[in-house]
Amino acid sequence: MPPLLEARSLTKRYGGVVALDDVTFDVQEGVTGLLGPNGAGKSTAMKLFLGLIRPTSGAASILGEEPYRSIDVRSRIGYMPENESLPKSVAASEFLMHMAQVSGLPPAHARTRAADVLRHVGLHEERYRPMGEYSTGMKQRVKLAQAIVHDPVLVLLDEPTAGLDPEGRQEMLRLIRRTAGAFGISVMLSTHLMGDVERTADAVIVLESGVLSHQDAVAKLTEETETLLVEVADRREEFAAALAAKGAQAQDDGQTFMLENAGEDDYDRIRDAAVESGARIRRLSPERRALTDIFRSAPQ
Amino acid sequence: MTTGEAQVYDLRYQRYSGPREGRGRSRRAVFENGVRAVLGVGRGGRAKILPALLFISAMTPALVFVVILSLAGDAASGFIPDAGDYYNIVRIVLILFAAIMAPELLIPDRRENLLPLYFVRPLTPVDYLTMRFLAFFVITLALVYSGQIVLQAGLILTSDAPLDYLRDNWADGPRILLVGAAIALFASVAPLAVAAFTTRRAYAAVFVIAAWMLLSIAADTALVIENSGVPDQVALIHAGQITESINDLVFDRTMEGPSGEAIARLHAAWPVAAYVLWTGIPALLLWSRYRRLRL
Repeated sequence: MPPLLEARSLTKRYGGVVALDDVTFDVQEGVTGLLGPNGAGKSTAMKLFLGLIRPTSGAASILGEEPYRSIDVRSRIGYMPENESLPKSVAASEFLMHMAQVSGLPPAHARTRAADVLRHVGLHEERYRPMGEYSTGMKQRVKLAQAIVHDPVLVLLDEPTAGLDPEGRQEMLRLIRRTAGAFGISVMLSTHLMGDVERTADAVIVLESGVLSHQDAVAKLTEETETLLVEVADRREEFAAALAAKGAQAQDDGQTFMLENAGEDDYDRIRDAAVESGARIRRLSPERRALTDIFRSAPQ
Repeated sequence: MTTGEAQVYDLRYQRYSGPREGRGRSRRAVFENGVRAVLGVGRGGRAKILPALLFISAMTPALVFVVILSLAGDAASGFIPDAGDYYNIVRIVLILFAAIMAPELLIPDRRENLLPLYFVRPLTPVDYLTMRFLAFFVITLALVYSGQIVLQAGLILTSDAPLDYLRDNWADGPRILLVGAAIALFASVAPLAVAAFTTRRAYAAVFVIAAWMLLSIAADTALVIENSGVPDQVALIHAGQITESINDLVFDRTMEGPSGEAIARLHAAWPVAAYVLWTGIPALLLWSRYRRLRL
């Protein structure tokens, strides 16, 4: 399966400022998170893939074509910008119909698609209201709707949860999962929030200061480690002593015992120590990595 | 009471499998949207008031003349303007219309950050600009022609022998079309070019009206001062006089006023060249602005 997006030695400079420096990566089907702090080069990468700007060197391709050379490929991609980009005096239905036509759909089809997509983002009842009256959450949903109204193969979302309250953020992340799952549209999601990527993405690309820091499947980056975590409900000191007496090397942070490089024998030692000390085990599980660890381990 | 079987419709998301018409449809959509934006279609009632008022203003002189003709007949014939007079009468309304409405086409899209949404679709900045310009040009042309059509219809229908009138004045038809197109082009380009460099509609409108008035006053003032030694070419900065001179050239009329008389003393190539510059330079600025736009 050819990649949906390809960056090959992609470099973009603005005068003396290097926004992206010799970056190479692929994006496959599904949801991919483009993660990085502000100024990491995420928006620049998106604009290069969308053909809004040209690379200084290297190549960016989308669906196998260079977006600033091939106009036609753009009818198969969608884009949700980070900043507010909706006409305040126009109703959502009219705006979506117009955007569908600008994407190449005939008027009758554009009208149907606009109504369908607004229903799917939960704005069917509000579709005739001017968008200037919408809440931030509703505006974000219209921005997503205009990005998918022409049923693209791939949609690029730039900070889709920006400015949303926790409830609105959950709703937006749920919609993004649905866009990829139920709608079958691949998503590239740019964000500085690791939680957004952990909850929605299948793969992650991490940019830091314009350089590619990590690229892998989210499941792999958050896979189980060989550290075993144990929490007991009572008799902590007796349990710790019993564990030490059996030769287990456990670190105690006051709440959790951590056994690094734990093997099969360590499970037996924990069981025996719990029996001997009379402690009740509340938790026994391998530790999982978090995406935050990527940043901790990344070279500065 | 009647009963019937209930039906459950599946409203799940459906993939789109209909036609995709590409760049041609994109361009057409931008053109149609431009026409709607200028006329206030699809927006609140307030957005329709101004274009309606300006259209009525452009039509009113023609309607008044037709009513006078129908009531007074031949007695009013000396008072009624001919095809060559009419464009000069509605010139101010055209400038006002262009100055006020041109910003509606370009400024909201830039101010509300809509351009990236257009340019990630099958549309280039030049496509966008061309379609926006055409939308405005077509509306301005409709405004320019509509009054003339009403006036000419009135003149034909109120004449004693409509067929003779048509035979005697047939040459006015192509002249009306040519001068109308030239005026619409002139009135469209400069206001759009100004609108491309600001995000405030009022600033753009005020700038166009003020520039038009100040240049006209400056040219006339310089030319009426005796022994000022100002060359007649100064009259070519009088923006209003440029369209009037094209109109008078085509209709073979005598130009009036200080600037008009100065232009009349020049070779006919001068006002034509000035017209080309007055439309060409703003057009180049407009094109260059959108070509270099950073998103």
